[in-house]
Amino acid sequence: MIKGWAIGLTAVAHPVFSHFNMKLRKQQGIMLILPAILVMGLFTVYPLLEGLRMAFTNKHLLKEGVRYVGLQNFIRLLSDEIFWVSLYHSVLLTAVVVFLQFVLGLILALAMNQKLPGMSLFKSIIMASWVIPVAATVILFKFMAQPDIGLINIVIKTIGFENLNRYWLGDPNVALPFIMLLHLWRNVPFYGVAFLAAMQAIPESYYEAAEIDGANTRHKFWHITLPGIRNMVIVMVTIHVLWTFNNFDFVYLATGGGPVNATDVLPVYVYRQCWTSYTIGYGASIGTVMLLLLMIYFIVFIKISERDKIA
Amino acid sequence: MSKVRRKLGVAISAYTVVIVSMIFFILPMVWIIYCSFRTQASIFTGKVISHLNEFTLENYETILSVTDYPTYFFNSFKIALSVSLLSLICSIVGAYGLSRFRIKGKNAIIMGIFSTQMFPQVLLIIPMYLIVFSLQMLDSVIGVVLGQLILVLPFSIWMLKGYFDNIPVAIDDSARIDGCNVLQRLYYVILPLGAPGIMVAGFFSFVVSWGDYLIVSIISQSQRTATATLVIQRLSSALLIRWGQVAAAAVLTIVPTIILFSFVQKRLVEGLTAGAVKE
Repeated sequence: MIKGWAIGLTAVAHPVFSHFNMKLRKQQGIMLILPAILVMGLFTVYPLLEGLRMAFTNKHLLKEGVRYVGLQNFIRLLSDEIFWVSLYHSVLLTAVVVFLQFVLGLILALAMNQKLPGMSLFKSIIMASWVIPVAATVILFKFMAQPDIGLINIVIKTIGFENLNRYWLGDPNVALPFIMLLHLWRNVPFYGVAFLAAMQAIPESYYEAAEIDGANTRHKFWHITLPGIRNMVIVMVTIHVLWTFNNFDFVYLATGGGPVNATDVLPVYVYRQCWTSYTIGYGASIGTVMLLLLMIYFIVFIKISERDKIA
Repeated sequence: MSKVRRKLGVAISAYTVVIVSMIFFILPMVWIIYCSFRTQASIFTGKVISHLNEFTLENYETILSVTDYPTYFFNSFKIALSVSLLSLICSIVGAYGLSRFRIKGKNAIIMGIFSTQMFPQVLLIIPMYLIVFSLQMLDSVIGVVLGQLILVLPFSIWMLKGYFDNIPVAIDDSARIDGCNVLQRLYYVILPLGAPGIMVAGFFSFVVSWGDYLIVSIISQSQRTATATLVIQRLSSALLIRWGQVAAAAVLTIVPTIILFSFVQKRLVEGLTAGAVKE
């Protein structure tokens, strides 16, 4: 159908509207990306600007009458203890999770890069955890973390640590590490498979040449493998810092920020401010701070990776 | 001799990684599938092995015939399919434009698209709710679809642009000399040669939409648009949790994503990382 329509279009356009056609050709590129830009303009850029504007208002979802309050929301933030706790958790969670994902993903990729029987089957199923809904992941782990009936506690009791039996997400001391574990469960295979793809793009001849020069395994890893996957590492780390810092559903679905703010992170705090307390203006100001922090990270990161490229 | 020993050492450490990974990444899924076939009483014994007479299909029967789960499952399907279709149309055409045409400020556009990944979704959702409200699309499928579209569009475009960049321009050129116009080149050259990448982009959109909680939780107000993801969350945070049924509902919600995954599995990484591998 598209084919017939397209041929019809040329047949008409070509002889008669050749001038129009020329102009069209110049605009073709922009016309093609217009739909995407329109959707993103309406549902990303405009909401972003609106959100930033609301951060300076006292907007409440259920109350009439909005006015600008200047920096009042941001001043309130400074003395908001839950904000500081959430900020600390967000930064800690992002740093630990992305770092561990990188290291474990690298180990996984190195293992998968060995030509051994059964490895291709392993590679084909290992990313399953990445495709299932986060809500399902959370249920899997909530279930396993149940006292007495959860698999984790059953195993712990069997090997003789009866006194560790507990609801793992309900203990303020372990709830946050447990949520980090959920992040690792979802993303490490993705890292592993992505790093593997990059490793396999490194020409075999590099390794052969190094071997002739007498390089050992460790040399080859540091001087050929790591530099070879550098670009992939940069992309994966950058994008996961953004995704992890902005991630809402792991914490919200697993604990809602509890017990007693032990797992509160900024996105969950924003959500609660907006949709539980309905104080949208204040929520937007926290969101603005999140954006600022990510922008700083983004700029510093780009500067560093550009400097390394030149060096 | 030492070479053989080293090879053996490598194999042993590689298999150790494989076994640990299988336990950590795969076992939780096997466990929930296993428990979805056990009775409530059997689960509450706190034992790993059940007697044969403690296995049952009751959990699935309850979820499928007593609860409203099928409605939500169907909603999820409608929404995820629409999101995939719309995002594919926008991102194929957009990525084609970015990959093949001279556009003023192209780098700025690409950078702009990429930097939207930086925007906190919890911040965007506030005005988005107000926009959807004023368009009178609250609690409608189209409202949810439009909201979720922005979750997948930037990454889809970026991914497909990377994929299309790897298709030799010479093929385009010869098609143009043969008299193909823009749309014909898209249809005859890019679509067939980019098909694996397009499949992955479609899969990505489907899975993200299927698993989305944030946007559905704001825009959906009733049974009409609630999705399976939303409902398994409600089931699992009830006061008295019937774990057998929760497990069954979770398994049913996981199954479509795993089935689709098995189709694209071979292409998945190549597609997802197309933007990162090329130099």
